[in-house]
This record gives sequence, structure tokens and C-alpha cells, in this order.
Amino acid sequence: MEPERIIQTQDLSKFYGPHMALENLNLDIKKGATGLLGPNGAGKSTFLKTILGLIQATSGEGTVLGHDIRTEGAAIRSRIGYMPEYDALNPDMDAINQVRYSGELLGMNPIVALQRAHASLQYVGLGEQRYREIKSFSTGMKQATKLACAIIHDPELIIADEPSNGLDSSAREFMIDTLINTVKQGNRSVLMASHLMDDVERVCDDIVLLHKGKLAAQGRIEDLKAIDREIEIHVWGGASKLEAAMIQRGMRVRREGRVMRITHESEELTSEILLCASQVGAQIRRMHEYEASLEDLFLVIMENLGYDVKSSEDLFKHPIHARKVDAPGHMGGGAS
Amino acid sequence: MSEDEEITPHPLPLPQLPIPLTPQQVQPVHPVQPVQPIQPVQPVQPVQPVQPVQPIQPVQPVQPVHPVQPVQPIQPVQPVQQMQQEATEEIQMATAEAPVTGQARMDTAWGSSEGDEDISEMASIGQNDTGEIFKQNYEPWRGELNPRWMRNWAILRHHILGIFKKGHRPWGIPTRIFLVLVFFASLSDAGLTLLASLIGDSEFHGWWGVNRDNLYGHVLGFFPRNVMYYPIVAALLVGGVISEDRLHGTSALYFSRPINRFDYIGMKYASVAFIQAIIIIFTLFLYYLTEIIAFGRGWAWIVDTFPIFLGALMGGVLLIITYTSIGLALSSVSKGKFFPGIGLLAIILGTKTLAIIVKNLFEREILYLLSPYDCLAHVGQTLVRTQPTYDQYSWTWSLASLIVMNAIALYVLSSRVSSMEVTRE
Repeated sequence: MEPERIIQTQDLSKFYGPHMALENLNLDIKKGATGLLGPNGAGKSTFLKTILGLIQATSGEGTVLGHDIRTEGAAIRSRIGYMPEYDALNPDMDAINQVRYSGELLGMNPIVALQRAHASLQYVGLGEQRYREIKSFSTGMKQATKLACAIIHDPELIIADEPSNGLDSSAREFMIDTLINTVKQGNRSVLMASHLMDDVERVCDDIVLLHKGKLAAQGRIEDLKAIDREIEIHVWGGASKLEAAMIQRGMRVRREGRVMRITHESEELTSEILLCASQVGAQIRRMHEYEASLEDLFLVIMENLGYDVKSSEDLFKHPIHARKVDAPGHMGGGAS
Repeated sequence: MSEDEEITPHPLPLPQLPIPLTPQQVQPVHPVQPVQPIQPVQPVQPVQPVQPVQPIQPVQPVQPVHPVQPVQPIQPVQPVQQMQQEATEEIQMATAEAPVTGQARMDTAWGSSEGDEDISEMASIGQNDTGEIFKQNYEPWRGELNPRWMRNWAILRHHILGIFKKGHRPWGIPTRIFLVLVFFASLSDAGLTLLASLIGDSEFHGWWGVNRDNLYGHVLGFFPRNVMYYPIVAALLVGGVISEDRLHGTSALYFSRPINRFDYIGMKYASVAFIQAIIIIFTLFLYYLTEIIAFGRGWAWIVDTFPIFLGALMGGVLLIITYTSIGLALSSVSKGKFFPGIGLLAIILGTKTLAIIVKNLFEREILYLLSPYDCLAHVGQTLVRTQPTYDQYSWTWSLASLIVMNAIALYVLSSRVSSMEVTRE
């Protein structure tokens, strides 16, 4: 059976004056957990605001849970739960009343909202702390409170913007487990924007990768990883010669010291590698199929798009670099 | 010595068979029965050879007891099956009932040095060592969300009830105390009217009772009401109403819900205005009502004075609107409650002071048009028809000035609120 679609866009574009934030975005996000990835300035925030119906797209169309993003923003926001990245809680209120109020803002009856606030806070692990003022909460507890605010009305789609940002390991584990539980046990969908690839990989089955407002990749993580199958070898002696020999034979080689990864394009690859090694007299002490992580996949895609990056940290931690690439040539950037 | 090497004969009767055994001795399969308690120790490979029954030599392998893996081969021997079943039951019972002791926990963590742990303890630990206290269960909700008016009511209620009780918008304690003090101070004329009726002094009533000047003074009198009461009340109320949403990011809480900017501004505006109305207009009404009740005023008196009361009431409404518009505009451009509060007081009292200085120095009243209070007072004098104190220009100029002030304030307010973000500020 065809999986249910929760977000669909067709040629969705958004311009801020001359600056293009989203360009002809064609997305098809199905029910379940989906990761939204992209470097700073990729258009993630604009995309979220557009699907929330908070800003009007310049052109194109889209639906969220069957509602038109151009005309039914309020209906969309009634059916989704949004967990913002930044603080969105009144520090002088206690958690239970903050969550209750967030339910009332959706149109819930105050009594029902209070009951649901108790249930939501219990679910996110704050059952014992619900009467404490939010200013006394740790970052993890604040994140959990924001999640409780988002799920108080049992939304069909939860948009979590950097849910594990700034959390210590135990709080992060709990947040990730909670999101997984929400998808698996609660049968809800999650759209998770995060810079932490491990978290996205654990929670999500699919990803959407944006770059400069365009769709760089979309699909199941496993399928996307399969695109980037590689053989990893550990070489002793004659590594450079072996690299040259393999490149000469038309293999695609990535090398970091004595470790090389060769794109797995043919079934005879292993024998060809061994042949090259015997020809140049290099020792291969270890050879195995390399299972790419989501971060590797991300890097490969970004490299294909023209970025010179060593890790996703480079992109995420240095937005100036990313913006410089986006900037026109006469301003020092790489864009035409 | 490792546990594997130190294999002692099983304590149970099973291994007590003499080795080598004669076939005759082996015949009665009974001696094997005691194997029951061994169940935990799975591997009993040697039992295999027991199958043939007759030549019992194979029983030798029974010695090592340790890996007693497959008790299965014993199946053919009826009594062994029975033993297995009984043992299973025993384990189940132990699992369900055996207490968890400190020793059991230690054994689970480190293992006993002899490798002969008690089955029941092992089983019970297996069940209890997860330590799960919190079980996360997603609870669905099938209710329906109410329409727009309910969401707006929630905002209004949240702000207004915050003055009186916990769990809603947390107004500061000084703000609450000041509001209560001003409320009672605003009722001073009503109290004095009541006192005048009690003591029956007409001169005293002339000073404090309801008349054209006193109704005007209740709302628009400069001192003390528009120096010490109403501007400060407005400053305290508008200070953090929008700026704190920007400061704490709680604007995301509103705009990620089906609340539009108009509703957001409208309800914030209404809640601040409502609280001011309790202090200014409700007390005006109580003042008027006190006069009617305390002095037994009839319809004739009410018909005579009601237009004046309405004029004062309209002046009060204009005052609340103007102070709220300017105050919220200031609140929308800042991230904290200090600047909007001080800014509002500076605008109200500063322009008034400047206009007085200019008037005294140059005998020109034109600068009063820049003072919200003076414009309100000028229009209010017209509405209540008291003796005008502004002679050099028409009240319509003051009204126009008020309209312009409110328009500018509302424009700033709406443009700043429309720029408030959901994703980040």
C-alpha cells in the first residue's frame, strides 16, 4: 500500500527581494520520521515557516496533511505540533501551566488542556517536576517542556527544530528515545531538523537535504547510503603508488593517510584492488566493505555540490563560510 | 582456576551412580530423576548415551555435569521429561515469587565464585534488574479543538487572571500591589461622597460629590491621577506584555499555533486596556453609583448628569486607548519591560513638562499638541463641558493629534509584531 503523504510541495519557491531562499522545491514526505538537513542558509527555516503557513510562498504550491499551505495556515498549525529550537517558555511560569496555556492557545478547553498537560509532561519525563518554575529547569528539561507543549493536542505531525541541541548525553538519549517512541508507539510523524547526524539517523528513516534553497537529496537513509558504497583498505607501504595505480585503473579513491576508500562500482573491485597492490608491492592489511554513516553521505553530497569540507562541522559551525560560498563572485563568494 | 575447570560433581543424586555402572544398576532409570534441580545448568550432553539404556557405560560423560545442554535427548526416558517439566514450573515459581536480595544483586553483577548460583535468585533478578520506574506511554487524544474565539479568550484570560491568581501570566508582585493601591486610591472620591452623605455636610459634598469638574477630574485630572496613578499603571502593564514574548521567545508559542498577528495584538491590547478600565472606568462608575445610592438621587438628577458621566467615560476610554497604544508600541520595539515603562512615562510627563515650560516662557500653547495628556485633557474638557484651559487652538486639533499619535503607535506595533519570528528572533 502506498504510504500516506504528510507534506508535498510542487515547484515551491520563496524570494526575499532578490535573495532566493527556496527554489523550485519538489518534496514528498511520507508518514513516519523524516530528517531535515542542510547547512546554515540552506533554507530550512524558510521551509518550516512556509509549511506552517506563516509566510507566503512566492510561487509554487504545497500541502501539509492535506491542507493548502497558501490558504489554510491556521488549519495546518492546529494539526501539527511545533517544537522551536530556541527558548519559547516563560521562565516565571511553572511547567504545568505553561503546557496548559499552550494547549489553550490551540483552542482546548482549560480543563481538558490541564489534563492533557499532565499527561504530556508525564510522557516527556517531567511528571515529578511539573510544578517547578521553568527558570529552575535544566536545558534538557526545557527541551522536554517544549516537546510537551508540542504534543499536548496529540498532533499528527511534530516538527522538532534541533530537539537535542545543547543537551547532555543522558538528556539527549531520552529526547531521542521519546521521539522514537512517539513515532513507533504513538504512530505520529516527526519532521526533525537537526545538525546532529547521529540523532537524525537514529530517529528518522528518511531525510530531506536542502542546499542553497534547493533539494539536494531526498529518500530513505538506507537507500541513499547504498549510493555511496565503498571498500575500505588499510595499506602498509606504497600507499601513494597504490593510490595512483588504482586511479589509473579508473577507480574512485578517497585517501586519508594509509586508509583509502574506493567507490564500489563493480563486483570485481576487490580483485582489482589486490591486483593493483601486488603490482606496486603494497601491503593491504585490512579490506572491508565500508558502511557509510549519514554524515558521510552528507559530506559526499556536499562535495558533489562543490563544497570543500572535511566534516559536517565545517558547514554547520562556520555559517560565514557557507554564506561566502553563496555570495556572488564580486563579493568574494562562489555564486555567479 | 576458572569456573570451567573447577567442575565439581553435581550435588544432586544424579551423578552418584557408581562408575562404571553395571547395566543392571542402571536399569532403574530412577537415579537420574534427581537431575531436576539442575535445570539451570543446561548442558547435560552426556545424558545422550543413556538412551539405549542397556549398556550404561556411556553414563561416564555425566561426570562433567557442567555443560548439560540438551536435556532433550533424555526425552525418550519418560521420567526425565517429567523432571524437566517440574523444573520449568519451579523456575517459573521462583521467577514470580523469589525475593530480590542484596546477595542476589551482587551475584548478578559479579557472579558467585563457584559458579553454582541459586536458580531462584537468578531468575528473580532477571526479572527485576531493569529498574524501570518510569514507563513511557504515548496517550492519544481524540478531542476537538475549539474555534478562534476560544483561543482569543485564552489569551485575554491568561493576562487578566494573572493579576489575581497563579498559573496565568506572572505579573510582578510590585505591579500587583500598585494596581490594588491605585484601585483603592481611585475610589477615594466615591468614599468621600459616601462620607459626605453620612455626615450630611453640603459643603463637604460640594468638594467631593458628583459634578462636572469632579467627573472630569476622576478621569483626566492631572494631579494626582495623571501624574501618580494612570500613567504608572499603564507603564507597569505594557512594559513586558510584548517585549517579554520577544525576550523569552514565547512569541513562537503563539505563532506556531493557529493564532494570527491581529488576534495576538488585539488580545494583548484588550487585556491591558481591560485592567486599566477596571481602575479608571469601573471606579468612575462606582463613584457615580455611590452618589445615586448615598444621596438617593432620582431619575431627574440622573437624566441631568448622565451626559456628563458619559463624557467623562468617553474621555476615560480615549485615555486608555492612547496610553495602551503608545505603551504597546514601545513594548514591541524592545526586549524587556524597563524601556517601555520608562519610555511611556517620559512621553506622557516629559511632553507635558516641555509644553508647560514653552507656554510659560513664550506664552505659546502649541506644544501641547505633542503631549498626549494635554490632548486628552483638551478633548475631555470639551466632552464634559468644563471650563477649558487651552485657549489658543481648537479642541479638534487635539483630537487630530490624538488620532495621529494612536495611528503612529499602532503602525509601529503592527509592523514590529509582524516581524516577530517563530523560528528565531
